Amino acid sequence: MIRYVLILAVIAGAIAFPHLLTSNYFIHLAILAMIWMIVAQGANVIQGYTGYVSIAQAGFMGIGAYSSALLSIEAGFPVWIAILVSPFFTAVASLIAGYPSLRVKGHYFAIVTLAMNMVIFIVLVNWIPVTGGESGLPGIPAPEPIVIGDFELNFLRRNTYYYLVLAALALVMLLVVAVVRSRVGLVLQAIRQNETLAEAAGVACWRYKLFSFVFSASLAGFAGALYAHYQAFISPAPFSVDHSLNAILAVILGGSGTLFGPLVGAALTVALPEVLRVAETYRLIIYGVGLVIVVIFLPRGLYPWLADLSRGLFGRKDGNGAEAHR
Amino acid sequence: MNRFWKLAMAGALAITAPAAHAADKVLTIGVSDALSGGGAVYGEPQRRAINLAIEQINGNGGIAVGDDTYTLETIEYDDKADPTEATNVARKLIDRDGVKYLMGYCCSASTGAVASIIGREDVIMLVGTAGARAITAAGNDNVFRTRPPGDYTGAAAGRFIYDQGVRRLGVVATRDVALFTQYRDALVEAFKEAGGEVVAVETFGGQDRDMTAQLTKVRGLDPDGYFISGYVEQVAFAYRQAHELGITAPRFGFSGGSAEQFLAVASKEAMEGVWDLIAIEFNAEALGDNAKAYAKAYEERWGDYPTPNSAFAHDQVWVLKHALENAGTTELGAVKEALRNLTVPSEVVLEYLPVDGQMFDPKGQAYISNGAFQFHDGDWEFKTKLPSDAAGYSAYFQTIRK
Amino acid sequence: MLVDLIQQLFNGLVIGSIYTLVALGLTIIFGILGIAHFAHGSVAMFGGYLTFFFIQSLGIGLFPSMALAMVAGALLGVILERVAYHPVRNAPPINAFIIALGLTLIIEKSNLILFGVDQVIIPTGFDRVFEIGGVTFPELRVYILVIAAVLVIALTILIQKTWMGMAVRAVAQNRPAAILMGINVDAVSMFVFGLSSALGVAAGVLVGALFAVAPGVSSGLVVKGFAVLILGGLGSIPGAIIGGLLLGVSETFATAFISSAYKDVIAFLLMIGVLLFKPEGLMRRSATR
Repeated sequence: MIRYVLILAVIAGAIAFPHLLTSNYFIHLAILAMIWMIVAQGANVIQGYTGYVSIAQAGFMGIGAYSSALLSIEAGFPVWIAILVSPFFTAVASLIAGYPSLRVKGHYFAIVTLAMNMVIFIVLVNWIPVTGGESGLPGIPAPEPIVIGDFELNFLRRNTYYYLVLAALALVMLLVVAVVRSRVGLVLQAIRQNETLAEAAGVACWRYKLFSFVFSASLAGFAGALYAHYQAFISPAPFSVDHSLNAILAVILGGSGTLFGPLVGAALTVALPEVLRVAETYRLIIYGVGLVIVVIFLPRGLYPWLADLSRGLFGRKDGNGAEAHR
Repeated sequence: MNRFWKLAMAGALAITAPAAHAADKVLTIGVSDALSGGGAVYGEPQRRAINLAIEQINGNGGIAVGDDTYTLETIEYDDKADPTEATNVARKLIDRDGVKYLMGYCCSASTGAVASIIGREDVIMLVGTAGARAITAAGNDNVFRTRPPGDYTGAAAGRFIYDQGVRRLGVVATRDVALFTQYRDALVEAFKEAGGEVVAVETFGGQDRDMTAQLTKVRGLDPDGYFISGYVEQVAFAYRQAHELGITAPRFGFSGGSAEQFLAVASKEAMEGVWDLIAIEFNAEALGDNAKAYAKAYEERWGDYPTPNSAFAHDQVWVLKHALENAGTTELGAVKEALRNLTVPSEVVLEYLPVDGQMFDPKGQAYISNGAFQFHDGDWEFKTKLPSDAAGYSAYFQTIRK
Repeated sequence: MLVDLIQQLFNGLVIGSIYTLVALGLTIIFGILGIAHFAHGSVAMFGGYLTFFFIQSLGIGLFPSMALAMVAGALLGVILERVAYHPVRNAPPINAFIIALGLTLIIEKSNLILFGVDQVIIPTGFDRVFEIGGVTFPELRVYILVIAAVLVIALTILIQKTWMGMAVRAVAQNRPAAILMGINVDAVSMFVFGLSSALGVAAGVLVGALFAVAPGVSSGLVVKGFAVLILGGLGSIPGAIIGGLLLGVSETFATAFISSAYKDVIAFLLMIGVLLFKPEGLMRRSATR
């Protein structure tokens, strides 16, 4: 019960958030945080639920961002269509890339996805006539305003875009819940537990792994599209390997294989730089140390730990917390 | 208790006093520049030059704006020459710190990104070394730039290379920084127009330090001159490797680094005879007394000789001072107008070529003279000015958008 | 044309020999411990900076400085193994991988704080250039080939002919059996990390002499190293040697004959090709596994 009250409280807080704050800057951060939550949730599907680390999430985010931007600038598509179509571009790219890479397991797979991210990055930097190279693509339009009578939703306004991204995040959460609780989700978790056993039980694991990979990449692509039309400008930099590592960090910190962990993790990776107002170099060292410590001492991540703590505080022992959703 | 209140009163007075007296107001300048990474060789000197100029202005009683006197202070962020980071920095400066004047901006890609969104914001952006054309060509009325666009200098350089007797030119250049590609395209076009042939255009990327394969390839085509351009850290490697490959044909370049920056990578022998064809940035030999005084002050303040590009940033601050004084207010519209009507201030270091008597043309772009420098015996020597047509270029510049 | 071909081959072999040195360290660690030691490139850069520091502050020559830095690198490797990897040795492999990412951040950024953001070029004084029939051989590049070859031979002897090398091979082939035979697996792990890190430092010094030690170099280096591993086969020493040289030469030829823009893509195309058609790598696992 407390659990649902908490969830409702968080949702209510998220809706009220822009009205509680006067500074545009915090709304800006919140939008970025929610976009990263979508990326992290994608990473969670392949990493947390399936047990395969993909270091290509930022690259796929880039494919989504560039395809949506180019569809709206060059091909003249309405922005709404571009945002909805771009995850499919990402899906196709990840399908082509995933097929050979999923022939290998464990570390091999991680390294191959890392290489994939580098290839995407190199193409973004070098395919200058299309991507604008390192200088990037300026002038990406915001979604067309929605006018209902006298009422207008203008997405150039930051508050309005905040609600768009919030709705997108809610949609992604519902999708992920649906997948994780379906038979497919169970198979994915079986693969994480023991792939050989799952294979022996007659499951064609590669199909499920490929689905998981493509699904997680599509979420990243969707986030990329939202990012592009928010920032109005994109360049290759945010789609580099470093940012893929950030997504992995978010999942690990928050708690991999939990529904809410990646949200906590992504919020932290956006908020920490603002809170730790030290030089970036020191901050990244703190990240690194945090990562090592969390893996050694809190291998399940922060969210399950917090959930346990809160259960302890509220004196409940029915196990209906995060653990049930692992 | 009594004593406590006295102290508290004194403290409150100390805090509110500056606002009470019209004499002492503070104007905060947001500085966004590359302070780490490859662009730092341009960004950090700019940051220093801005601070030097501000200290000089504050030391001389600040800026008289209407009835008030302003002193300047800065909030500085590292944009790493990265476009995304630079837009984030702009967000921080505008939304969080509430800054109205932005300065610095050494590098093309990062500055281009900020310039593409700055039109919607209530700020004035003063651009330093970044040379991509679109920054001012886009026509935002709140962007002003002291450095001329790359192609303004590139065209002059192309003719110069032909006049030096080169007929077959091999090009090895950075791939994706607009300043360099626009300069290169203008150079290639002018060189061909003069009657020369370009045998190859090979490129390298942002992290490359090994251009041996590209140079070997161009060497095989036997050109009688090379053109090499990009950021100093990389170009210096290209000169070193060209020397190792036994290349002796004349080498022309465009990067604008100091002798120390080049010699950190390449030997004196490797650099001997190399040309740098650039807008005449700071150079005590080629410029007048202001430049010498600037060099002295910079060296006293920072312990280093100023890099050539640092003067762009130094001049920004003086430009802003005069514009504020002329406007008589800090209201942005009036200051923009004052910038647009500004004549070249006497304190600037570089040799600006006014268009219609004004420092900035209608798109907020200033022009300076171009020159040829040659490396000899461990240092750059000023050789000659390149013929440059500021008014003619500006007329063309008004017609383009990017 | 032939002159250019030989010149490019030489250029490629020099780069390839550096890739080989990086890949060797990675492959031994992977062969013994099954860890993708991502921080290897940062350790290499640390060694490069340290060598520069020794040359500048102690006033000793290049080779003594390099040797000192290799010892320091080996120590660092042992510490990393003890403090960070050892605690997760029995956990799922993903944990070790995340640790590796964390270590990469820590070492990479510590380098920045310790040694600054400017690129550092290790002075060698090897400025002469030899020329044979139009092909130029810069002295420094020749030495790099020689140094790499010496290190590879030394490593091979160490692994093949010494008692410790035998223990390393035994653990790689059959860990439980090695334990039963009384081999101290902990000692082997530390030895392997020390050895690999020393090799990595050597690679870092060569990169610093030929190009520069600078922020951003290490990740490129380590990724090339892993590409070599996939090309040659994870855990294979001959695979690392052949794969490294092959990668260096194909990159150079790609620049010369295809396009300089996409030279870095070559590594990944080769990698994906190998995965599709020969997933166990070009060389079968041998020496260590």
